[in-house]
Amino acid sequence: MGHGRYIDPFVIAGPTGNLFRVEAGQTLNLQYVVLPGESRDIDVNIDLVGPGAQAHVKVLYLSGGEEQVNIRILMHHRAPGCHSTQKIHGIAGGSARIGFHGAIVVAPDAQQTEAYQENHNIVLTPEAQVKTEPQLEIYADDVKCSHGATVGQLNADELFYMRSRGIPEAEARTLQMLSFLSPVIPEGREEEIEAAVRSL
Amino acid sequence: MLDIKNLHAKIGDKEILRGIDLHIGPGEVHAVMGPNGAGKSTLSAVLTGRPDYEVTEGSVLYKGQDLLALSPEERAWAGLFLSFQYPIEIPGVTITAFMKAAVNAKRGAQGLPELKAGDFLKLMKEKMALVQMKPEFAKREVNVGFSGGEKKRNEIFQMALLDPDLSILDETDSGLDVDALKIVADGVNTLRTPSKSAIIITHYHKLLEYVQPDVVHVLKAGRIVYTGGRDLIDAIESKGFDQF
Repeated sequence: MGHGRYIDPFVIAGPTGNLFRVEAGQTLNLQYVVLPGESRDIDVNIDLVGPGAQAHVKVLYLSGGEEQVNIRILMHHRAPGCHSTQKIHGIAGGSARIGFHGAIVVAPDAQQTEAYQENHNIVLTPEAQVKTEPQLEIYADDVKCSHGATVGQLNADELFYMRSRGIPEAEARTLQMLSFLSPVIPEGREEEIEAAVRSL
Repeated sequence: MLDIKNLHAKIGDKEILRGIDLHIGPGEVHAVMGPNGAGKSTLSAVLTGRPDYEVTEGSVLYKGQDLLALSPEERAWAGLFLSFQYPIEIPGVTITAFMKAAVNAKRGAQGLPELKAGDFLKLMKEKMALVQMKPEFAKREVNVGFSGGEKKRNEIFQMALLDPDLSILDETDSGLDVDALKIVADGVNTLRTPSKSAIIITHYHKLLEYVQPDVVHVLKAGRIVYTGGRDLIDAIESKGFDQF
């Protein structure tokens, strides 16, 4: 990979922006949960400035009605040997509008970086909209990075299989949604999330 | 048990079933054999209420009620079961969670209380042993990473646990080696009682050596073109489906 000109792609955006500096050997864990009834902007800038720093971000959203959720994450690897993960999973019903913009930037000095980003979305209605923009900017050679983004619907074959075993449609859909969200459900909040899924 | 009259069904614009008549009494095991594309899997899809298939003509009575008016889950509660030709993977849902939801939904529909966790696990263990499924499968995600034989065994395990009155086995023998076939067949035979019926859909004779049907039908181009006894299996084995 050629070395492009290395610039900061974002300035910290407005009063909602949150800047986190993670020093050598530190680990930052961030978890956001957006439940039905909330519109929210999540704007996170993470600077991994010391060798071996780690940052892990999880976002779960469950949105319906007219809700709007905008998620913006900049994961900036500035030092060598840092490790970051981002998992953003959510379900959009009603006429919700969801936007995700997630960037991983790896600076020229940040060798041995490991950075992963996953954004998976389920759209329940024709009126709901999800826009996802994953972005990778890599200026170092020795890195492991990946990103993946999907926007889909609940799997119809799974749904029929469960119903054919006697699981009512609503219950089958709940099981599917909980399994889809399971990587981002915070420990101890399983019941709350399950209730929110049922309310969607 | 089951009374199918002049059943026509299509998927999209394609008519696949073109007038099926089939009567299955309590305790009877019927084999439905036929070449690829005859409509065998469509028949099982229509009977279990798979969306995408549209019944255009005819009727299906199951235990005296209009089967086609019921949702897939209502059919399951009424004792209908399909062993899928291609069992579906459900990532993130364990076999235990899956079957517990299924068993308790059926009990709820019958006005029975949910099974206690301990009682359910005991019942599940017993049925897994019946089809020689290893206990650790209870915690596995449904069909995820299973071999072909393990998936089919899982189908028969579910059948044993749900204790249906009418089972449809759709190509349950495909993809099974002889040992797995025997285990599946033993499972099916154990569940055979004078009141329970089954439809075995297949284009091979293999499974029918182990689970002997009372009646054999030949399905071709969306119609049952011939009905006979077990001797029909040998005739098909030696001369194929072209003779019908």
